[in-house]
Amino acid sequence: MANIKPSTALHIAIVAATGIVFFLPLWWIFVSAFRPEEDIFRYLSPLGIETFLPTRWTLDHFVTLFESTFARSIFNSLFVAVATVLGGLLVCTLAAFALSVIEFPGRNIVFTIMIVSFLIPFDAIALPLYQIMRGAELQNSYLGLILPGLGNGLAVFLLRQFFLGLPKELREAAMVDGMGWFQVFWRIYLPLSGPAMISAGLIMFIFQWQAYLWPLLIAPATEYKVAAVSIAQFNSAYGVAFGPIMAGAMCISLIPMIILVFFQPYFSNSVASTGSKE
Amino acid sequence: MSKTKNIYVALAFLAPALLAVVCLRIWPALLSVHESLLAPRATTYSLENYIYIFGDPIFQSSVWTTLFFSIVVNPLQIAISLGLAILLNNKLPGTGFWRTLVLLPVAIPASVSAVVWAAALRPDGLMNALLGLFGLGPQPFLTSPQQALACIILVTSWIGVGYWMTILLAGLQDIPKSLYEAARIDGMNRWQQFINVTLPQLRRPLTFVLVADTVSNFLVFAPVQILTRGGPQRSTNLIMHEIYNRAFAAGDKSSAYAATVVLILLMLTIVAIQFRMMSDKGES
Repeated sequence: MANIKPSTALHIAIVAATGIVFFLPLWWIFVSAFRPEEDIFRYLSPLGIETFLPTRWTLDHFVTLFESTFARSIFNSLFVAVATVLGGLLVCTLAAFALSVIEFPGRNIVFTIMIVSFLIPFDAIALPLYQIMRGAELQNSYLGLILPGLGNGLAVFLLRQFFLGLPKELREAAMVDGMGWFQVFWRIYLPLSGPAMISAGLIMFIFQWQAYLWPLLIAPATEYKVAAVSIAQFNSAYGVAFGPIMAGAMCISLIPMIILVFFQPYFSNSVASTGSKE
Repeated sequence: MSKTKNIYVALAFLAPALLAVVCLRIWPALLSVHESLLAPRATTYSLENYIYIFGDPIFQSSVWTTLFFSIVVNPLQIAISLGLAILLNNKLPGTGFWRTLVLLPVAIPASVSAVVWAAALRPDGLMNALLGLFGLGPQPFLTSPQQALACIILVTSWIGVGYWMTILLAGLQDIPKSLYEAARIDGMNRWQQFINVTLPQLRRPLTFVLVADTVSNFLVFAPVQILTRGGPQRSTNLIMHEIYNRAFAAGDKSSAYAATVVLILLMLTIVAIQFRMMSDKGES
């Protein structure tokens, strides 16, 4: 490291500065969450080291937060996201298996319709779907929150690509041994598809964790409100208390951040595979 | 083993997904078409709702705002993502860490980002403090009809560019090194290499990002609803917020459905292109 080239050093500096610029708002959330309310906007002008490092620490905002209904919202978000990943993986792997391994007439048409209709971002049809779900009395229910996340076009696409990459001989040999289609799926394909399932699961988790418009419409009751909706309504609930807002923002951000840091290669691969790789 | 016999097996595997597509996508889409053709209190189909919304200055301005927003935000985000991808496409120590930092905002709910930026863009907030470093006076940001849309662009870009960067980064890594060596032998400088090697080789991921980014930016909702509620002076009233307002604040479901159909048709066109590109790639 001692004799590093100046151009390389400059490159590293620019790269690091870019990362810090993107991280700065997040860091500001974390710092603000731990400092007293009156300190949040106090050290901004002029900008200094105190702006980004708390001089006085407090956990008050987290106490306020978790004495409120926010704890319930975090639980709702987690429950909905985990249930969506489990249910969604089942729905999407079954579909992807049929669309890649089983040969049947009309497969391409089914694939096209399925992917195109899943690719239309869900928010575009939020209004009519809300009408339908209200008719089915699914407003303010977990089912109403979970159902729209189960079919994920990107997940079906990813899993199908993965299955297509497995050798045909696997299936043929298993069938010669007398396995049925479901056994082939359950005992041969599923055990092999771990990485693809993680990628697909991540996509579904993040989809639900981020959902805002749909939960806002379908589950406004406190009992079923998700964290992403809760935090947006803090402003009115707490006046202009930014402390609890920052603490809440930190709680909601940390969960996907931890997941992303651990599974970043899976996430990047799945994102990349839709855009450029095969 | 006949292919026709397989159809029943395939249907059994596909049943849950097909049910989801029909109930959660196709039915709502058809319901919108049906409702959009029924004027308030009418019993027969007509185009009245469409005539009404396209004659309505508020809807018109929302469409123009959305188009203007798209024309600015998409090229901007793609340029930034490409710049980031090139900058972060190296094997220097710690690059993986910095990439993760750029990607982090993608994973955070847009509503959380919006709430935090609401604080950062306050007159006494973080943003004005940063501008102060460069000797710039405090800006009104969200309360100014001239600056509010730019703020929405800033927030959506902070959220999104890491995602598009990831796709372009993968594209960059797929470019054979030999192409650059050949270009160097031909005496091309960095800029010429970028124009003659990088850009043509990135055509596919760039087009993909353009399409996918356009779709997602048409549906920006949380930042608008939380930061500006479409204002000031409707300067940030993007179409998703306009539909939501019509349906739930103004209670005008009929014209909201007509607007929804317009939006779905637009999405369908763009998504069809996206799908073509995704499946072309699967075969090559």
